[in-house]
Amino acid sequence: MTARRLSSGGRIDRSQTVTFRWDGKRLQGFAGDTLASALLANNQRIIGRSFKYHRPRGVMSAGVEESGAIVTTGRGARSEPNVKATQQELFEGLVASGQNAWPSVRHDVGAVSGLFSRFFAAGFYYKTFMGLPPFETGRGTGIWMQYEKLIRKAAGMGSASRLPDPDVYDHAHGFCDVLVVGAGPAGLAAALELAQQGRDVVLVEQDFELGGDYLAQSDPQAITRRDTQVAALRAAGVRIMTRTTAFGLYDNGVAGLLERVTDHLASPDASLPRQRFWTMRAGRTVLATGALERFISFGNNDLPGVMTPNAARSYLNRFGVLPGQRIVVATNNDSAYAVAGELAAAGAQVILADARSDAALVAPKGVELRQGLAPFNASGGRGVSGIEFASQQGGAWRVAGREACDLLLVSGGWSPVINLASHLGARPIWDSALACFLPGKTRSDIHMAGSAAGVWQTEACEASGTAVARQVIGADTALPAAGGWQTPIAPLYEVRVPGRRTKAFVDPQHDVTGDDVRLAHQEGFVSVEHLKRYTTLGMATDQGKMGNIIGLAMMAEALGREIPQVGTTRFRPPYTPVAIGALAGRHTGPHAKPLRRTPLHDWNLRQGAVMTDAGLWHRPWYFPHAGEGMAEAYVREATAVRETVGICDVSSLGKIAIQGPDATEFLNRIYTNPFAKLPIGRARYGIMLRDDGIVMDDGTTWRLGESDYLMTTTTTNAGKVMVFLEELLHTRWQDLRVHVTSVSDHWAGVSIAGPKSREVIAPCLEDGEAVTNDNLPFLGVRPVRLKGGIEGLIARISFSGELAYEIYVPSGYGEAMMALLWPQAQAQNGVLYGLEALGALRIEKGHVTGAELDGRMTIDDAGLGKMASPKKTFIGDALRRRPELTDPNRPQLVGVFPKIRSDTFNAGALLTAPGEDSGFGDGWLTAVTHSPALGHWIGIGYIAGGVAAWEGRRVLASDPTRRGPVEVEIVPPIMFDPKGDRMHG
Amino acid sequence: MANPISALHEILRKVPSAGETAGVTLREIPSFHLTQIAAWPETLAEVSARVAQGLQEGGRAPAPGRVMALGDALMLRVEPLKYWLLSTDQPLQLPKISAEEGATLDISHARTLLSVSGPRAADLLMHYLPLDLREAAFAEGALASSAMHHVGVTLWRSGTEFHMALPRSFAATLTDLLCQSAQQYGLRLG
Repeated sequence: MTARRLSSGGRIDRSQTVTFRWDGKRLQGFAGDTLASALLANNQRIIGRSFKYHRPRGVMSAGVEESGAIVTTGRGARSEPNVKATQQELFEGLVASGQNAWPSVRHDVGAVSGLFSRFFAAGFYYKTFMGLPPFETGRGTGIWMQYEKLIRKAAGMGSASRLPDPDVYDHAHGFCDVLVVGAGPAGLAAALELAQQGRDVVLVEQDFELGGDYLAQSDPQAITRRDTQVAALRAAGVRIMTRTTAFGLYDNGVAGLLERVTDHLASPDASLPRQRFWTMRAGRTVLATGALERFISFGNNDLPGVMTPNAARSYLNRFGVLPGQRIVVATNNDSAYAVAGELAAAGAQVILADARSDAALVAPKGVELRQGLAPFNASGGRGVSGIEFASQQGGAWRVAGREACDLLLVSGGWSPVINLASHLGARPIWDSALACFLPGKTRSDIHMAGSAAGVWQTEACEASGTAVARQVIGADTALPAAGGWQTPIAPLYEVRVPGRRTKAFVDPQHDVTGDDVRLAHQEGFVSVEHLKRYTTLGMATDQGKMGNIIGLAMMAEALGREIPQVGTTRFRPPYTPVAIGALAGRHTGPHAKPLRRTPLHDWNLRQGAVMTDAGLWHRPWYFPHAGEGMAEAYVREATAVRETVGICDVSSLGKIAIQGPDATEFLNRIYTNPFAKLPIGRARYGIMLRDDGIVMDDGTTWRLGESDYLMTTTTTNAGKVMVFLEELLHTRWQDLRVHVTSVSDHWAGVSIAGPKSREVIAPCLEDGEAVTNDNLPFLGVRPVRLKGGIEGLIARISFSGELAYEIYVPSGYGEAMMALLWPQAQAQNGVLYGLEALGALRIEKGHVTGAELDGRMTIDDAGLGKMASPKKTFIGDALRRRPELTDPNRPQLVGVFPKIRSDTFNAGALLTAPGEDSGFGDGWLTAVTHSPALGHWIGIGYIAGGVAAWEGRRVLASDPTRRGPVEVEIVPPIMFDPKGDRMHG
Repeated sequence: MANPISALHEILRKVPSAGETAGVTLREIPSFHLTQIAAWPETLAEVSARVAQGLQEGGRAPAPGRVMALGDALMLRVEPLKYWLLSTDQPLQLPKISAEEGATLDISHARTLLSVSGPRAADLLMHYLPLDLREAAFAEGALASSAMHHVGVTLWRSGTEFHMALPRSFAATLTDLLCQSAQQYGLRLG
């Protein structure tokens, strides 16, 4: 192949030189080039190396179906593998390099594997290395696990960067009356007709220019037509999205679009996303997605310099590149004739070999036409240098001469792009006259136009687009018939000459050959689905755009069937690859999940809090003093709570307003314990179960008025509880007049715990007497007014086991509340405490959290069985009585001490009897801590039968993967102040 | 009297502002009163009419998915049986609603209110909200409960502006996302 840039012609801007680097070399192209056209213009032959055999590959196409010129672009963190050079727009400073080769694609050491290619047929690696004789005959894959690393290193595509992606990606939603996919003659006509009829139209085009096939035509009238159409579209207000691929169609008019925003820019605006991932919802969808020209399978059909005629036409007429000087065009259909003529007119020596002997077309001017010849075996080392022809004689192909060439153009027919219709379940229908699949019917509102519907001629495609648009609008309009060639296509998928062995590729991107397909058949993989998986045909990044039909035809021939009887696989999204980053959008890093901040978040940070995740919330973990780590800080904080006072941000607790005349009855049905007689101004701890009798959540509910309650839930279960309550009211208990509303975000809440808590709170209130024991007894609730006029609620409840209160004020006043409380606490030598200290305090008291109520435990398991009222029914009451849930040997909540008090153990360790530490053990530890109150390590967990079953027995906390067994004692779960004197004091 | 503090006071300080050429103007509505009125199916018509007329003589309550300006307040139909009443000056004087008729609830501090305006406001919002915000589909007075980054938000159109009610605890993270995406259109903080 001796390609060169022409001095005129094409749509490139010769006044704008673009400098880029290819494999370290500095090259130049023009604005309007693709990387592929610029490489061709620089006469670069070898652009890639093949997947398995490391064969040299060049440019094979001019579009998304490219299987040869697959490269890596960018550097460092922006390195992007497996980019099709035919799709990469050229820009100043673009860096591209070959991949899957060492040291370069031009001189690849890996090419030695090609010498052994006859051994590397489909399934070779698995057959050879799995259960490798004699070491693993008939068993195991241990050796394979080692070989696989080497095999995957030798084969494959490019390597992704392991650095974090520095780019940002946006998600976007779009709506339109009609989505038109593809801006060729049919798409432009359809979009214009729809817009002129008043429809809101979005037109998407994967190319950077509108026009599709217009752009590849030599006729100036085509460009004029294209320009007129585009101007009319803009005037009609059509929303045009170039560089945008419709990668998938989904139910109800939803299309997935990928817009490449900055991939073509040398210095993109930093505020722009690299790509946008669109979810487009369209009333109707018109698919004018065109058709792809396909190859024929013959010897060395993958050599650099073998491409489709339509690609050569595109390079010639759009990019001003004559891709060869001595050209052979091999075809079985009419479409190559015009290309041959245009190449000859551009100065090339052209031979047109038509496999048909009866074509009625005459040779274009300057073209030597040879009928009845098909390509059989290309020759050449680093690029094509000649082609052996074959002709049909007596029902078989025979060698029929040789011709030297530097460019071989091969057309085996055209395949309409029906992928998107297939996503919606449209079954492809084989059209034997056109030798292609056409889209079948679908219940979805999609309409095929132009060559995507098998219409081959430009004028007919325009008419097809217009007619489809009128159908979309509701007119009874006939569509142009599929086809349009003067002489019918002669189906031709493979050329083999008896007695001659060649390397003939079906799917060049995955190095699948015709022999691989026949081997699959011989080994019984006759289903098209099995063929695909055994050979990997159609599983590369092009998803079989080049090779699928050839493979099907070969399998049909092997089976003695027709192609429709063999069937085809359904296409699945995406049509072309989509970056993982685009799927993630901006929901990465700190935005990977929505972050919840309490009203005291910034205040906590100003006090030096180290934060931790609690569900979606960020909560203070601990507040270290200088030189402290977490271990020192939480012990200090918990100690202070026991000795003086501590303040903890509890704003994240779920809070649900329950209102209505039937609110009391509602709560009485939800909680296991009775709520019917809870007085106004009192709180009650409650447990709620799931329908299956397992504990769902716990918390206190405050009665604020006759029909007005405030329910608190655990932080992480707040959403689940809210949804459950809504479901109950909307489905089961529609007769109850109750409204539930989440008010979690309305209130800023703090717990003030410790023997000095009352001294901290009283000076902050306008009426300090509000917190005396008489005015606010244990589990009392009342409105309160803080100094500064802040209205709030105060409840005397305790999670720490100390005298403790919770104060809630409207969130905006959270910091104002802390400005009152914190100086008072400091005056009492108090502390701020975080989740770690909170955990230590609650473990000492045997209070359960999500670690214990983990979706498996019953109310009895948790030691709270007395809270299940026998005098009423409640959610979960029936199923909690199942025999399996009432087995006395079920795990029960216990406390755990180390036998030697200086020992420690880990959460998650199994509790077992000595010598029985295999399997699941007898129990497990859910949480552990150093107990400041007891002066040693303690834990909480479950063990079969509970405390009584393990009295006097030895128990190990078995932890084989971390620190080994530790002997422990099983004790009652309330390990500190079991009578609750401190809390009630 | 103590002053309330916005959930966005730290976030918005860090956002660069594009000035007059902005495609999007984002403004927090700092102080407001938001009250929820919930009725029962059989009392809905009477309660909503009484509230609407209390806000404005002859006023009518909005249909589902609609918001209406009544007097100094906005009345938003956020659920079939629930309305929000929004005012930015003084707390509203509401008619007495008994428990047999419905329930009222102050949720002023449960939400952060944003105004999003400018020629690219809809484009910005549609990066996150799966809503058809074309003028014909979401005109003046339209309201929708939707989800942004999995978080329930309420959106309505008032004049040339969109208004969003964000759950306060999520407001900072959602506003940060909006500000990031808005940079491509030019963002001005109002």
